Amino acid sequence: MRSSKMKKISGNILIYLVLTVVFIVTIFPVFYTLMGSFKSNMELLTNGGRIIPSEFVFDNYKEAWKLANFKQYTSNSLFLAFFIVVGTIITSTVAGYVFERGNFRYKNLIFGMVVSSMFVSLGSLTLYPQLMIAKAFGINTSLWGVIIIRVLSMNVTNLFITRSYIRTISVEIDESAKVDGCSFFRIYISIIFPLLKPLIATLAILTFRFAWNDYLMPMVFTLSNPERMPLVVGIMNLKGSGAAASSWNLMLSGSSIAVIPMIIVYLIFNRYFIEGLTAGAVKG
Amino acid sequence: MKNKNNYIGSSSQIKWYKKDSTQAILMIAPMLIGFFLFTYAPIVYILRYAFYESNGFKDTFIGIENFIRVFTRDLAYWRSLKNALVLTFGKLAVEIPLALLLAVLLNKGRKGTGFFRITFFLPTVISAAIAGLIFSLMFGSFNGTVNGVLQSIGLIERPINWFSSRGSALFVVGFASVWNNFGINMIFFLMALQSVPKDLYECADLDGVNPIQRFFKITLPMIGPTFQVVLLNAIVGSLKMADLILSTTNGQPAGKTEVVMTYVFKYFFGYDGRAIEIGYASAMAIVTAVILALISGLYMKLSNKLGNSY
Repeated sequence: MRSSKMKKISGNILIYLVLTVVFIVTIFPVFYTLMGSFKSNMELLTNGGRIIPSEFVFDNYKEAWKLANFKQYTSNSLFLAFFIVVGTIITSTVAGYVFERGNFRYKNLIFGMVVSSMFVSLGSLTLYPQLMIAKAFGINTSLWGVIIIRVLSMNVTNLFITRSYIRTISVEIDESAKVDGCSFFRIYISIIFPLLKPLIATLAILTFRFAWNDYLMPMVFTLSNPERMPLVVGIMNLKGSGAAASSWNLMLSGSSIAVIPMIIVYLIFNRYFIEGLTAGAVKG
Repeated sequence: MKNKNNYIGSSSQIKWYKKDSTQAILMIAPMLIGFFLFTYAPIVYILRYAFYESNGFKDTFIGIENFIRVFTRDLAYWRSLKNALVLTFGKLAVEIPLALLLAVLLNKGRKGTGFFRITFFLPTVISAAIAGLIFSLMFGSFNGTVNGVLQSIGLIERPINWFSSRGSALFVVGFASVWNNFGINMIFFLMALQSVPKDLYECADLDGVNPIQRFFKITLPMIGPTFQVVLLNAIVGSLKMADLILSTTNGQPAGKTEVVMTYVFKYFFGYDGRAIEIGYASAMAIVTAVILALISGLYMKLSNKLGNSY
């Protein structure tokens, strides 16, 4: 009896040991970035072994914000993320509603075509043709191109989440509204959309994460227009430039500026993050 | 008037139906146009340009010459594909068992479970590009903190130049990728574990089954279908890795750590001083898409036992 209890206690110790080690490895890179962003460039370039700065300086943030254009990058990122989030909420809920409740010819065929796009694994390899098509419309050198492509090209995961959510709303509600004279569009505006609030929170957060973190597409759309670069592209641009070695302080403070808002949003809304991502994966 | 939709009765209802379906089409139309323009048209574009030689200004039809070049003369392409495969299977060999282990440990409702779950998921919300940048700074050769720490505890004498050889560079990239992605897989496994009926374990306990047997005979078969999908997503996602390579090694040293997506990407955009070859890049994109589809298909075939395990 006693030995089994001992065994249980030592098992628990082992488990917490494993969890603690993983915890340290998980949190270290974030901690390192935060601490590094407060080091002077001198200290960054000479003393890598020390993690906590010998003296906390805020100059890196000042320099990044004022001299290295991070103020502009941050506002570009906010602009990009805001319009992609709002646009995606509209297009995802409309598409989910139309494919779930709508009746028109070839509906299933069109739905099938949208879904099957998921199986073509080209990923970033379609960026070039997308840029060329955007060029034909004159939207290839601004963030509007990215916004339009992201909002209009249907995200299959979002479509699945929305469609299955709308399926749980009773059709009788629609029908009684129809009897009262509501049109198909009217039902979406005044009945379905307000009922989707919890789903909209999830969609907003997932889309925000995606838009805020996106790198390749905004990069190719701002290649010739550095003024419009979002944060991630701006930071990566520092690394690619010849002055990479002398701009560690900017890269670290820039990374902090890019990562901290995301972490705060995550810590506040972590339930929506986790629910949204798992719902998408199970249904998709 | 006879209507095909015979569940619709009176003519006023037919009018309603028609009006509603017109509205439905109008609502979805902008998205369908966007979808065909930015999802399907690019595929058509690539299919066409694969048979052309093009630098973005002048196009010449050259038949299947681009494909002959991929298969016979471009060793670097196949090396980048091999790197993608090595990186994918190397990092998943760590990431998937780690995610599963953590999910099992956190499933029992021990103290602090919520806290660990939230922290382990945290790297997932960070951009892959930024994650790569942070890791490349941490593993920097002269002033990187990893070398600094290893030196100060006496594990190494001189700083290691992590990005000077293919092996150690791929190790750092794989490490960064595991860090960035293990949380999401852990959450998927955790979801699956929570749906396993508790009485199965109670029966097993009565029969005196030990924890290891319990894991392999009950847990693993019960979460088989989830495991199959999670692993497929992880394989395809890792093979398509691009941001992380661009932000860490960018293919250095001498193109030895290039993966297939970045290799083809650079031909499209002439990134890094390479000449723009849209036709050739398109041909490589098609070959890559076909190879990825074959890998997924083969995986589904081989893993069917997992998916049907209960």
